[in-house]
Order: sequence, then C-alpha cells, then structure tokens
Amino acid sequence: MANIQDNKSLKSRLGLFAVYFILAIFTILAIYPLIWLFMNSFKTTTEFQLNKLGFAQKPTFINYQDAWVRGKFPMLIVNSVLYTGITTIMIILLSFMSGFAFAKIKMKSTKVLHGSYVIGLLMTLQSIMVPLFLVINWMHLYDTKLGVLIPYIGIGLPMGVYLATEFIKSIPDALIESARLEGAKYWKIFISIIFPMGRPVATTIAILTVTGTWNEFMLINILTSSDANKSLPVGVQKFAGALSSDFGKQFASLVIGLVPMLVFYMIFRKEITKGVAAGAVKG
Amino acid sequence: MGNKKGISTRGEEIRSYWGFVLPGFIVYFVVMAFPMVFSLFLSISNYNGGSLFGNVRNPLKFVGFKFYEKMFKDPYFYLALKNNMYIVLISVFGQIPLGFMFAYILFRGLIKGKDFFQSIIYLPCVISTVVIGILWKSFFAPNGAFPELIRIFNPSYVPGVSAHPMFKVLFVILWMYTGTYLIIFLANLQKIDTSIIEASKIDGASEMQALRYIILPALSGVIVTSMILAISGSLKSFDLIYVMTSGGPAERTSVLATYMYNKAFKGAPNYPLANAISTVMVIISFALIGVTKFVEKKFGGRE
Repeated sequence: MANIQDNKSLKSRLGLFAVYFILAIFTILAIYPLIWLFMNSFKTTTEFQLNKLGFAQKPTFINYQDAWVRGKFPMLIVNSVLYTGITTIMIILLSFMSGFAFAKIKMKSTKVLHGSYVIGLLMTLQSIMVPLFLVINWMHLYDTKLGVLIPYIGIGLPMGVYLATEFIKSIPDALIESARLEGAKYWKIFISIIFPMGRPVATTIAILTVTGTWNEFMLINILTSSDANKSLPVGVQKFAGALSSDFGKQFASLVIGLVPMLVFYMIFRKEITKGVAAGAVKG
Repeated sequence: MGNKKGISTRGEEIRSYWGFVLPGFIVYFVVMAFPMVFSLFLSISNYNGGSLFGNVRNPLKFVGFKFYEKMFKDPYFYLALKNNMYIVLISVFGQIPLGFMFAYILFRGLIKGKDFFQSIIYLPCVISTVVIGILWKSFFAPNGAFPELIRIFNPSYVPGVSAHPMFKVLFVILWMYTGTYLIIFLANLQKIDTSIIEASKIDGASEMQALRYIILPALSGVIVTSMILAISGSLKSFDLIYVMTSGGPAERTSVLATYMYNKAFKGAPNYPLANAISTVMVIISFALIGVTKFVEKKFGGRE
C-alpha cells in the first residue's frame, strides 16, 4: 500500500520498528509453546529432566512408537474421521434442505421453525448438556457412535440452516418459478439448481463443522465411556492427561493429536479464515 | 395431480416443504429444542436419575426454586461466577483490542508478511483445546519449562502454589483466541474502501485521525458483534479449564461450566442443581448481550 513511501521520517521509522517488534513478540509467543512441545516429543524423560528448553541431543522416536500403540491412536483417528465426515455431510444436506424450504416455499410454519433455529444459535451448549445426556440414555444410545453423531448433527444445524437460508434467499425467485413452470418438482429443483449454486456456503458450513466437530470434547466426554467410541480429543485427554511425569510420551501423543488439524489448516487456510469471518456475522 | 403440466399444486408444495424441513428439524428438536425446555423443567424438579415417572421410592415432584436458592447460598457458585467474569473481561478488553491492533497493522500494510503473521497468530485457534490444555499444564508444571525459564532471570525461583492460579488460565485464553478476532476484524477491514483513507491522508489527516474518524466508525457493528461473541464464548469456556486445571487448586479456577459439570457428572448426580446453574448461565449471557446492545444503541452511532 502507498503509505509506505511517506513513512520516511525518523518518527515513523521508530513507529514501524515498534510495530515489527510487537508483532515479532506475539508471533514468537504464539508459536514457541508448539515448538517447545515438538522439540520435547523427541526426548526421553531422563533427557527432558536435564534439558527442558533446548533441542534433543539424541532425538528418539520411541515416544511416538509407544504412544501410537498404547494410546490406540489409529482407532481414535478413524473414529474422529468418521464422526467429522458423517456430521459434516449430514449438516450440509439437512441445512440446504431446510434452507430451501424456508426461503422458497411459502408456509406459515416457517416463522416458528426458522425462529427456533435462531434461538438454538444463541444457546449455550452447557444448558442442554444434562437433558441431552438423559435423552441419549433414554434412547439407549449411550456409548454408541450413533449417540454421538445425532447430537453433533443437531448442534451444528442452527448455524448451517441460518447460513443456507440466507444464501438461498439471495437466489432469484424467477429461476425457481421458471423451473416450476416447466413442471419441475421441488426436489428436482433442489438437486439441479440449489445444491450446485450453493457451493460457497456449503464450503463455509463444512469448514465450521469440520473444525468444530473434530475438536469437540465436552459432549463426547459425557456421551461415551468405552475406548471404541472415543474421538481423538477424548483419547488424547484420557491417555496423555494421565501421563503427568512421562513427558516425552505425553508430548508425542499431543503432537499426534494436533497434526491432523494442522495439516487441514495448512491446506484450507484461506477457506478457514473466510469461514470464521462469515460465521461471526450472525450477531 | 400431474394432469396439467406447468401448474404447481399446493399439495406438492406442502409435501415438499415438510419433506425438506422435517428430517433436520426432528434431529434438532430431539437434540436441542426439547433439551432447552426440559432443562428448565429439571431445574425446578427433584429428578435425580432413573425413570422419570412411576419411581416409587422417589416420586417426581416439583420443588419450585429450591435448587436455585441452594445455588445462591453456595460460596463456590460465586467463586465460579467471579472467574467467569475475569474471562469475560480478558476477552472483551484483551482479545478484542489486541486482535484489532494486529488486524489494523496487517490491513494498513505497515509491514510485510501479512499472510505469515495472520496464519501464525490464528494457529492456536485450530488446535484442539485438549491438546492446548495439556500442553500448557505441562509447561507451567513444577517440573515443566516455565520454572526453568523464570530461573534464567531469577535463579532462586522455587515453584510453589500460585496465589493467583487464574492468571495462567487467563493468559492461555488470551493466547488461544486473539487470532479469532484478528481474522474477524481483518475480514471486515478489507471491506473498507481504501481510497477514502488515502484521500483523507492527502487532505492532511494523520494515521490516528484516519483510524478515529473513518475506520472505527465503519467497524462499530463488527466490534459489537465481536463483543457479543466474546461474552457468550467466555461464559461457555469449559474444555480448557477442565483439561488444564479441572477447576483446581481447591476450585480456585472453577467456572460456571465446570461447577455445573461437577454437580451433574461427578459423584452422586444432582441434575436439578446442575440445570439451575445452566439456566442462570443462559440468563447472565442474555443479560450481558442485552447490555452490550443497549450501550451500542445509546452511544455508538452506526454510520
């Protein structure tokens, strides 16, 4: 931008230096703990006690091998992929279906139904924690994968429905009316017009759902008890949280726990930042 | 139906409407809408597990506001509330100004490497809170890195029980979420027409004046939205504290959410009390959001 040229005076040079300085400090602060974590995941516990801040003198992979097997990470990762994948697909599909009906089919019930989703948008998850736990128990879904998936889908729907409805409202009515005049049924319009046009919003919903579901901890922690149904965060918490003195192994499992999201972030950085900004407009 | 091509029947409209809406709404109803109402019901009952009706030994009764009274008499409730308010304060007066400052620096192109700084500062937000909680717990542990770092400056430092255990939690919260506001502000700053700012510069306006008279007014709506987000987010905070301190030492870092969790899922369940707590959480959250909106209406002229 143009103002770099007029920043020639000593005062603004000092200002610029201060700006760089502040940013540098925060960048180091943001990343140092993660680097520290990574460095120490290659140390044995003995080495960690002698050398807590520096690089590993004799880097070892034993922590990773150990954690990978004992922490049951392959299973946890498969579960997390399953939970996140199914939840995301279902939320996109159901949000678009509801959004289409709310935006393009005139019905009196829309006001109540759409309104109740908006209330859900404002609700804190804690306020439904206990009742949801009871409902899942009554449905005999406690500690099952379905008993995790159904809540995940329901909780993501308010945001999805809201974003999808807003988007579909912006599609011109004429487009749908002309298809109707040609005799197209609503489900056909949905598949051939609405869904293909909705890609940008579907991406936003997907990003918000993936990051939210992958990292979700509170609900799955109370809704599951056996290892076979746990996700990566709960698994990491149960396994690594208990290793209070075996730092090397603990750090290795934390690194395993954060790598999938880190890779996802590196690939979809642009989409993620756009999705976060879009998700915040609700107010 | 279908005899006259091109004319939509109301019947098909109604069937399609419900076909589209019901699958999602049933899930939403079971998972969120019903529990929201049921939570209120539980908070004024004496239900503590087992079958809801026909429980002979402990029949379901309404006990009015008994559990709310119990909660308001519990000193731990106020401790948790106070800690929650600290988190609200650090979010509103820490994360938002810092996030804004970074966004502004990056937006004005004062420095190079915009994408790099943005990516790094936002990085903690995408990592699972569980990983972050355990990482910082180990970092601050007596045999972790933090005492070692302090010893570089003060060799006689001995880690002990901190007088202000919330400091660490607040620091981590600031560390984690500032990036979110950076992203939100940057996205909205980029909507501002830069030619207006450049024109004001040519007319002799300083950087500060441009900020005060052009940029801040254009962002007032986003600032309020961010504040609402920060307030409701702060009241929800659970994962980090559960993992990092689990409310300890001696409940001194507990917040309403962990306080509630302990009542419902630790030891003998006390569902009515837990739901009384969550109801109060919702009321506080709405009240704070209401105050924010009110202040905005009163003082913040939009455009």
